[in-house]
Amino acid sequence: MNHCRTAVRLIFPSLLNLPVELTSIVKLFSNCLSLILLAGLLTTQLHGQGVTVEVSTLPRVGVSISGPLGEGVTEIVSNDLRRTGEISPVDSGSGDWQATGDASDAGVNGRLINKKTGADVFNQTFTGKGRLAAHEFADAITQAVTGLPGFASSRLGFIANPTGSKELYLADMDGYNARAITHDGTISASPDLNHDGTKITYTSYKSGYPDTYLIDLISGNRTRIAFFPGINTGPSFSPDGSLIALTLSKDGNPEIYTMTTDGGSLTRITRTRGSETSPSWSPTGDRLVYSSDDRGSPQLFISSSTSTTDGSDWDHLVTGNSYCTKPDWSPDGRWIAFTTRIGGQFQIGVFDVAARTAQLITTSGGQDPAWTRDSRHLVYSNNGRLHLLDTVSKISLPIETGISGAGEPTVSR
Amino acid sequence: MNIKYRLPLFFAFTLALAACSDDKPQNYTGMGGDNGGPLPGGSDQVNPGGDASGIPPGPRGNFNPDSADYQTLASDTIYFDFDKSTISGPERGKLDAVSQWFKANPGNALFLAGHADKRGTPEYNRALGERRALAVREYLVGLGLPAGMLYTNSYGSDRPAIDGDTEEAYAKNRRVEIGVIVQKAQ
Repeated sequence: MNHCRTAVRLIFPSLLNLPVELTSIVKLFSNCLSLILLAGLLTTQLHGQGVTVEVSTLPRVGVSISGPLGEGVTEIVSNDLRRTGEISPVDSGSGDWQATGDASDAGVNGRLINKKTGADVFNQTFTGKGRLAAHEFADAITQAVTGLPGFASSRLGFIANPTGSKELYLADMDGYNARAITHDGTISASPDLNHDGTKITYTSYKSGYPDTYLIDLISGNRTRIAFFPGINTGPSFSPDGSLIALTLSKDGNPEIYTMTTDGGSLTRITRTRGSETSPSWSPTGDRLVYSSDDRGSPQLFISSSTSTTDGSDWDHLVTGNSYCTKPDWSPDGRWIAFTTRIGGQFQIGVFDVAARTAQLITTSGGQDPAWTRDSRHLVYSNNGRLHLLDTVSKISLPIETGISGAGEPTVSR
Repeated sequence: MNIKYRLPLFFAFTLALAACSDDKPQNYTGMGGDNGGPLPGGSDQVNPGGDASGIPPGPRGNFNPDSADYQTLASDTIYFDFDKSTISGPERGKLDAVSQWFKANPGNALFLAGHADKRGTPEYNRALGERRALAVREYLVGLGLPAGMLYTNSYGSDRPAIDGDTEEAYAKNRRVEIGVIVQKAQ
């Protein structure tokens, strides 16, 4: 199936204005043969009258799961599918696809039927613990129906401060199962999950100074991996998980370095008169995007992840805004989300890597964006709350973790 | 942790050696020793000339940073403009006073704690606090204070002096607090 998404927006600034401005925003996520026939979302807005009409033509999936936990799992799967923005979950029997199965404490036996052909698309057992099995089923449905990876089974990491100290938390992507994994009574900051969600690296002031730590989430072991003089912060896993990029100030002002996950093979990437922070890897691992204030205010730059020479290898991403920090490179490599300051407010922007253009995608504030697996959604924070933003529809929904003072989200891929 | 065994060596350390601290992980293959030149003095710039990285932070001290006494020199807290680590003219007078206090009170070290206001992303603010602390350290070195007695840390926006979302609160939070560390007899 083609994954073509088209949004056509008709703007009538005023009924009295004769010129009618027609703006087409076309986003192609893969080869599209026909823009109109395959339109996934059609939005018509009449500005000035506050009228918005949305017509959805998303694939419809009926969800009906039986068994002791069937009702709960039906609800979890339906919510997960709705959250993708690519699928419309409907009452059983009325969709183009039908998800059935049986849910018990042992897991979810899930089956997806393509009602046009009558064929089973898959029929398999999902064994994730608790709600995870339902999320795994939802992701399998999403993959089968849209060809895009679902993110319902991803892990969400974040920092929160509900009790007077900043601690590291993990939760499910729908906000459930939030729990603290540090209880240090100090500052924890800048977490980054590795791609399969089995490890997390972050900054802690446990020693009194900002050091970088690595936690194996399976064994529970925590290791301090960078503790040079100065700050050791903002760690980011390479796509294959073998390297960590981070900011160190051991040689003077804060610069970007890479090292192995045990702190070896330290390699300096940047060499400027400014501060470099928040490195994020390209999906192929050959480049890093980061923020640098070498030009007076923080801007985004890309450098090779292996440069060790004079630090002159960089590419300035012109976003049109003078304050751009905390970039995050999408899993498909096409987008770089970042935080920007406009009119005293912090908002989320997205840079199109190929077109080299930037677009603002929030208007109500936001910072510290993190991409989900599908390269379409972002988790970000705003005033101590986490949100899930669909960068296509621009719809933002709160992620209800029940934990106050949340920020700095990270999502496993 | 090897801070303890490093203590006897501490006063033999110079800034030039700081980049080669034994705190580093194994298999160090990165750039080192590129900041080994003489300390620049008397400037409020992080990079007064030549070297692109400014002067590095010194080794960490053998004390708990939270034990620093921030009361004695509380009136000499240095304040900064938004997104800036440059020490403005009026603030420099405070550092002259700090320098005189330091020389009149031997046996103390100073702990320079850099902070940022809450606006913006935490990681950028942590780097900004570090730049502010290093700028104050460099200025004090320029006034003749020994670099080895000037410790630094950055708390970014995580430890505001004043809570709140007003310009007044922000201005009070963009700061370097100067703590006093009483050094034990050697």
